[in-house]
Amino acid sequence: MEQHLMWHWPIIGYLFLAGLGAGAIAVSGIVVLWAPAGEFRHRATLIARLGAYIGPLPVMVGTALLIFELGRPYRALNLLTSNFWFMAFNPSPMNWGSWFILLFCIFATVYAFTFVPWRTLLGGERGERWEARGERIRSPMAVICVPLAIAMAIYTAILLAAVPARPLWHTPVLWLLFTVSALSTGLSAIILVQRFMFRKPGAVRGAVRREDPAFRVSEYYLVSMKVLLIIAELVVIGLFFMFAHMTINSANFAVQTLLPGGELATAFWVGVILVGLLMPAFIEGFYLLRTAVLGHEFEWPYVINVSAPIAILFGGLMLRYVIVVGGQITGPIGI
Amino acid sequence: MNDGSDNPVSRRKFLKTVSQGTAAVATAGVAGGAMHAAATKPSADTGNNNGKKNKVQYGMLIDLRRCIGCQACTVACKAEADVPMGVSRSWVEYVEKGLYPNTGRSFLPRLCNHCSEPHCVRVCPTGATYERPQDGLIVIDQGVCIGCLYCAHACPYGMRFLNPVTRFADKCDMCIHRVSKGLVPACVNTCQGRARIFGDVNDPNSEIHKLIARNPVSVIRETYGTQPNVYYIGLDTTDENTKKPGQYVRVTTNKANSPKRT
Repeated sequence: MEQHLMWHWPIIGYLFLAGLGAGAIAVSGIVVLWAPAGEFRHRATLIARLGAYIGPLPVMVGTALLIFELGRPYRALNLLTSNFWFMAFNPSPMNWGSWFILLFCIFATVYAFTFVPWRTLLGGERGERWEARGERIRSPMAVICVPLAIAMAIYTAILLAAVPARPLWHTPVLWLLFTVSALSTGLSAIILVQRFMFRKPGAVRGAVRREDPAFRVSEYYLVSMKVLLIIAELVVIGLFFMFAHMTINSANFAVQTLLPGGELATAFWVGVILVGLLMPAFIEGFYLLRTAVLGHEFEWPYVINVSAPIAILFGGLMLRYVIVVGGQITGPIGI
Repeated sequence: MNDGSDNPVSRRKFLKTVSQGTAAVATAGVAGGAMHAAATKPSADTGNNNGKKNKVQYGMLIDLRRCIGCQACTVACKAEADVPMGVSRSWVEYVEKGLYPNTGRSFLPRLCNHCSEPHCVRVCPTGATYERPQDGLIVIDQGVCIGCLYCAHACPYGMRFLNPVTRFADKCDMCIHRVSKGLVPACVNTCQGRARIFGDVNDPNSEIHKLIARNPVSVIRETYGTQPNVYYIGLDTTDENTKKPGQYVRVTTNKANSPKRT
């Protein structure tokens, strides 16, 4: 099985990290653009700040993985420079994707820099000036970054879906699966990091303390969003299987590798479905329902708070693993 | 005339402007068309057989009734193209089927199909893989290739691989160094049973054109719409994946890097 895998862990890691970064930026930008004014505005800005800080780095690390996985890494710029006009008409998703990566890295970095607390960092009049600049361009940057992030998340799936010779990848629902997974992993990363950042009250200057009700309410909304995304992802996985099963061709044959008895059945059903989706959904859903139905204040144990996002991140990685490897060990049937 | 004498200057100016504008539009259209033609494939109308009458399109016809599965073509390719250990550009598959005493064994030589609608060319992000306008062969420009292997995933025939020595994508190039000098590819030259016929499939006077026209021929995985230019006579499409319950089928690819047919 291992011998004819042409794309392996670097590509799997890239797809996961690009999805994670794009998801974090998308969530951050959406929060910036759509957060209501009022008492939670400051809290929303804090969530957006975390997402903006998390976003660019995984994409850059993933791109580095991608480049060093090439047969000739030092020629990676050929993707952008081989021929200008050819590029404009180039139907290759990898070419379009490399432009998305480039633009995303630039704009997401600028967007992240608008959140830097210049006032406390630089101080004085200069700090005030930079702070004002950051706040002025934050929303326009969010307007640019959200579509770019969504395009990145979709592109990671289109890259795979564009090749008819890989029936498991060549499905019209793959982009939906990867986009939902990207958003949920990005959101999980935000939830995970904010737990570490706000572990001690007042650990970050200007942060809202854990005891603040605003913190609990915002966390409640974040976790609700995540559970909804998990449910959406389960539905899309259902669509994925339905699509394969309604066809009598290579796609049906290819999806057998994920079904019980297939080579990747354990990785898929345990790694993706059980650990990555069902367990976090049930545990988080329990604490959410306790608040929603019984009216308790939203509070959950530290272990759950840390382990549930990690499980979702692991599930996102396993999803990429299963799809990338499963697509390569299967192929067109017949000759 | 009366109308013109009223305001001849403005009329002349108007005509001049109109003609200039038309010229400009025409130029832009031609330039745009040329640009588009240069950017996409050199001959956009090669989609069907009617459109490529005048175009040279090298192809191969393999008469499987004459193939004895000796692998001489595999060895000749390996030697001619200096293909490293562990990978293959061309190989012969053995297809065994049936239960004693009703059994059969057939051979299926595989090589790059040099498709008229190649998926590998479409997905190449740098333009390193292209169709040669002079003979329709699909080749890889190693000066541009980055070795991303996207083409290897896109090929429905599993022809492409990463050359472990050069670190570029590699595949059968129909021995362009030989055919551009008027020789036939190494596998054709060495074929013991003269099962392989090489030539211009669009030239009505060529042997391959006549044989394709006069015999029942088929291509591999026609449903992918790639329009291959490697034709087979007596192709057996039996595959392990499509066998019926109770049927015995065993396919040995003899491919160095993978037991899979793709």
